[in-house]
Amino acid sequence: MFLMRFTERAYVNYTEEDVRNSPNEAVRLTFSNSNFDPAEGHYLYNMYLDEYEYSEEVGFDGLMLNEHHNTPTCLGATMNLEAAILARVTKKPKIVLLGNPLPIFDNPIRLAEELAEIDMISGGRLVSGFVRGTGVESLATNTNPLHNRARFEEAHDLVIKTWTTPGPFRWEGDHYHFRVVNPFQTPLQKPHPPVWIPGTGSPETLIWCAERNYPYIFLETDPQGTQDMKAIYAEAAREHGYEPGPENFGYLVRIHVQDTDEKAYDVGKGYMVGNIGVGRIPLPRDYASPVGYGSRSDDPRFLRLREQIRSDPFRVGGLDGAQYDSILDSKRWIIGSPDTVISQLREVLSFMRPGILAVWTNDGSISHEDTMRCLELMGQEVLPALREIGEELELTDPFQKEGVMPGLTAI
Amino acid sequence: MPNFTEETISVAGGNLQVYKGGSGDPLLVLHGAGGNAGPRRYAQALAEKFTVYLPSHPGYGKSDRPGWVETMQDLACFYTWYQEQEGLENARAIGFSMGGWLAAEMLSMTGHAFRKVMLVGAAGIKPNDGEITDIFIISPQQVRELVYHDPAQVPEWDELFGSDPTPEQAQQAEGDREMAIRLTWRPYMHNPRLPAKLGRVSIPTHIVWGENDNLVPVECARLYQQALAGSQVTVIPNCGHSPQIEKPDEFVQAALAFL
Repeated sequence: MFLMRFTERAYVNYTEEDVRNSPNEAVRLTFSNSNFDPAEGHYLYNMYLDEYEYSEEVGFDGLMLNEHHNTPTCLGATMNLEAAILARVTKKPKIVLLGNPLPIFDNPIRLAEELAEIDMISGGRLVSGFVRGTGVESLATNTNPLHNRARFEEAHDLVIKTWTTPGPFRWEGDHYHFRVVNPFQTPLQKPHPPVWIPGTGSPETLIWCAERNYPYIFLETDPQGTQDMKAIYAEAAREHGYEPGPENFGYLVRIHVQDTDEKAYDVGKGYMVGNIGVGRIPLPRDYASPVGYGSRSDDPRFLRLREQIRSDPFRVGGLDGAQYDSILDSKRWIIGSPDTVISQLREVLSFMRPGILAVWTNDGSISHEDTMRCLELMGQEVLPALREIGEELELTDPFQKEGVMPGLTAI
Repeated sequence: MPNFTEETISVAGGNLQVYKGGSGDPLLVLHGAGGNAGPRRYAQALAEKFTVYLPSHPGYGKSDRPGWVETMQDLACFYTWYQEQEGLENARAIGFSMGGWLAAEMLSMTGHAFRKVMLVGAAGIKPNDGEITDIFIISPQQVRELVYHDPAQVPEWDELFGSDPTPEQAQQAEGDREMAIRLTWRPYMHNPRLPAKLGRVSIPTHIVWGENDNLVPVECARLYQQALAGSQVTVIPNCGHSPQIEKPDEFVQAALAFL
């Protein structure tokens, strides 16, 4: 099992009232950046990078980053910059970008160049995930949401071709046009860095991933519904001649550990002001999912799944309205002492069977000190136990499964 | 009161939904980004003098979208096709909001698009001082609140908005909004080159605006006037973005006097 550490790198120095007073009472897109203090930003960026460096020290296999725009909930507006720094200052862990929002790039060649540089600087440690981005990403960058999926697919094809086909060549697509594709720098990993795709279970994306043998990372999805999503992936995989295993799936969970259950319970409340921000005010529908962004497929199986995603009370996006205790009772967040966390995770892993576990160790108002203690305990007790559980449950990861992933060059 | 019929005709390989009513010279009415509300009171009144054609734009209502209709210029091309087929070249026309922009694009393309044109709260030209409201980052409910200056004076309010939309209507509204997004996303609701291209226009044009337009600033009336030689402007006081719905009697009076 591949264990990677994640945080959204939240900025929480504002109040619920500030959000209430913003246009459309939204913490993303239109929440004014006059609420941002760059001096605090200086402190936070460096603090978060310190935490990632320490995550290598305690033994994580991967450092996972993500990207969002126009929001205090995630400081990673240009995640590739953080990745480039980590490529230089760390030595062993994979740098897992989940992911670059392809549709918002008007120049995917530039993206291919950035990622190639990160891959070379890191010695071939890049995992290059791609996402469609939320509606906010489209709106913040003025990318027509109607073309989101088409741009995602075309930009992906262009980046992969840029990495794998000697230039110069010309690209004349529907959304991208380049007369001389020939960036001189190419990735170290051949044929190209591994591609993993994170998401909340869109059937079209699951099938698209299965067709390409790209691992799919479920972002805090409902465990029961996830079984149906995996079935969609598996069916498409079989049509393409292979049987998917744990190495094809990942799962992101908030997991916070402290010395005692009581301490962890108190500290873990800090998550509540993270992902959807201080005040936990739901995002307007036209921000999160503008008309045209979503699929209009009328495949009944897809419709059922979409309804399932929609009706999940703990749906991704911050487990929007849910109460802390009910989230913990449902084991959607795993919070406690090392023993508690290990035993609950055994249960979750047995059911979900991911080859990749994304450990969302902290967010929101959880302090640096508490985060560092959490990471320390992870290293001392939780990660070793998880590795044993992974062995026992045969949760093979993509790097263990020979032939599944391209690349894997190491220096 | 003239009877309107709803018909479906084939244009450019797809179905086009058209409301048609009245008698007299043809009058083409082009609806706005929000969709085709059908033959409202103003259309009934105009149908006393004209044969009113009120199509749902491709991708709107029950009209198909030929795959090539992606931009306002594509839409203008589509409508010249429709005009040629239905004998509507050189007809009179009224364009509301985005439909006004559409009429202006058609005017910029050919000298025989229309005999006379009325542009009402027309999008298409970027204001100098204000901004065209971004209707895609607010809810349809918020858009409606901005469209009408004083809902109490809208005679057809109950008919239009009195009951919750049926699931079919809600789905239709989504489809309409999607088409608006397709057509007007970027540059948003305007064409930077349109004012220059309107220099060719020599037919009579009448620009009508609600004084309290909260969607397309009333300054755009002057910008259209500058772009369209010899055009006249009527600003209707105490009125929002849709004079034809909010003040139908004053609107029809102005329309009949001009057309």
